[in-house]
Parts: sequence; structure tokens; C-alpha cells
Amino acid sequence: MRISTATEDWLGAVTVSGELDAGTAPLLREALDEQLARGIRWLLVDLQGLDFIGSVGIGELIRITKRLGEIGGDLAVVCQRPNVRRVFEISGTSELLHLHQDRAAARRFLEASCRERQTATPREEGEGDGQTE
Amino acid sequence: MAKPSEDMIELTIPCHPRYLGVARLLVGGLGAQAGLSVDDVDDMKVAVSEAVTNVMDHAYGGGTQGRVLVRYRPSAGELAVEVEDTGAGFDPSRLPAGGPPKPGPEGGLGLYLVRELTDSMKVESAPGSGTKITITKRHHG
Repeated sequence: MRISTATEDWLGAVTVSGELDAGTAPLLREALDEQLARGIRWLLVDLQGLDFIGSVGIGELIRITKRLGEIGGDLAVVCQRPNVRRVFEISGTSELLHLHQDRAAARRFLEASCRERQTATPREEGEGDGQTE
Repeated sequence: MAKPSEDMIELTIPCHPRYLGVARLLVGGLGAQAGLSVDDVDDMKVAVSEAVTNVMDHAYGGGTQGRVLVRYRPSAGELAVEVEDTGAGFDPSRLPAGGPPKPGPEGGLGLYLVRELTDSMKVESAPGSGTKITITKRHHG
């Protein structure tokens, strides 16, 4: 599994590719927690390059969604691959995790969420870019 | 009881999640050999992975000392997989039935996915006697 992160203005983005299971989920947890530690409250998780997801990976996304909700933020997931979407749908988590077909739609959702709460924290473009493998 | 199969393949893996991908890998090749569609194979990969994850989480007290035995039985239009351990076991009648568990980071979703993504799931277990989960996926076109 490969993970890259980027902080763009008020928005954090975590891009994941490969296979997300109980063996690799700790890497995702680390990347998501790092975003929160940087003060990010609106987080886009891009799973377009993900080939496989299991229940532990979904559990990580639920955990971070709840934490973001507690601090007045929100999360959106980008996922196109039918086999991965199917696991979200069967588990009944598509709505909770705000699944979108592309990054633009996910971003629009988070922008609307941010405007609604009117508490965005401006950040510098490109701040805190990093990559984990 | 599963029918004897000359094509049965047995895999024993350490009880560590880094080996989940190894258990999934054989599903791809053997599922194609059995004539399953790409979608069927994808479903079965999730199911096998979740069944093995369940063993790793519960059979040996969450430790990494035990072993997980996975048997693959491909036949025409069907792939059956048994996931077996010699760990703690449990009373299968306590497994939740019905719809998806309430979303939460604490788990409980794994065996629900196994049941929903396969054509059959059978759990044989008793406290102190290990567990065997047998799952079957048939060709759906």
C-alpha cells in the first residue's frame, strides 16, 4: 500500500493506493492522525488507486470521521472502483463516509460543509506535503 | 462436509495480518480456474480475507503465535474455502444475524461481509475447540 498526503489551504488530502487490510491499516491510521495533529478539520481521502479494502480499513475511516465530527470538521472519500464501492455499500457506510466518484465532487462537498460551519482555518498552499510507503 | 477434491490446495500461514495478502492471492488464480467472474473473485477475496482476519483477531487472544490453515477447493463453477484454527473457539449461536452491524471502529463487520459476499457460510466452533469457517462462491455470470 502507498500513502501520500498533502495539505492544500484549509483542506487535507490523503491518497491511498494498493491494498488496505488489517496488515496495512496502521499506516493509514498514522497518516490520518497526522492530519488531525496538524489542525486539519476537512479531510479528503482519495481511494481511486485502491484495489482492495477490508473491514479494518473501513473501521479506520469511521474512526477518523467520528473524530472530525467531534472537532467540527468533516470527511469525504473518493472511490470509483466497483469492487471497493461494493464493500462500502454492503457494509452500510457509504453515506456516513460521504463517498464521491471524483475529487471535484468530494471537494465541493467539503467546501459546502466548511462554509456551513464557517470555521475554516486558512493554511499555506503545499504546507506539510509528505509520502509514506 | 466438503466433497473430496483432487484440486484441493492447503496453505498454512502465520497468525499475522501481513500474510492476509497471501491468502487472497490464491483466490484470484483458483477462482479464475473455477470459472468465477472477476466480480465473484473480488467478492471472494474480501470474504477470505475477512475470515482469516477474524481468526487473527480472536483465535489466539490477539497474539501472533498461532497458525491459520486455509484450504481452497476449486471445482467447475465454484470455489469453496475453509479457514481453520486450533484456537479459543466460540459458540456460533452467538453470532449476530440480520443487517449490517452499527458502523463503528470497534469491528463486528468482518463476518457480516463474509456472509453477504458469498453464497454460503458455515461456522463450526465450540469454546476451546478451534473454529472452521467454510465459505463458497459460485459462478454468477
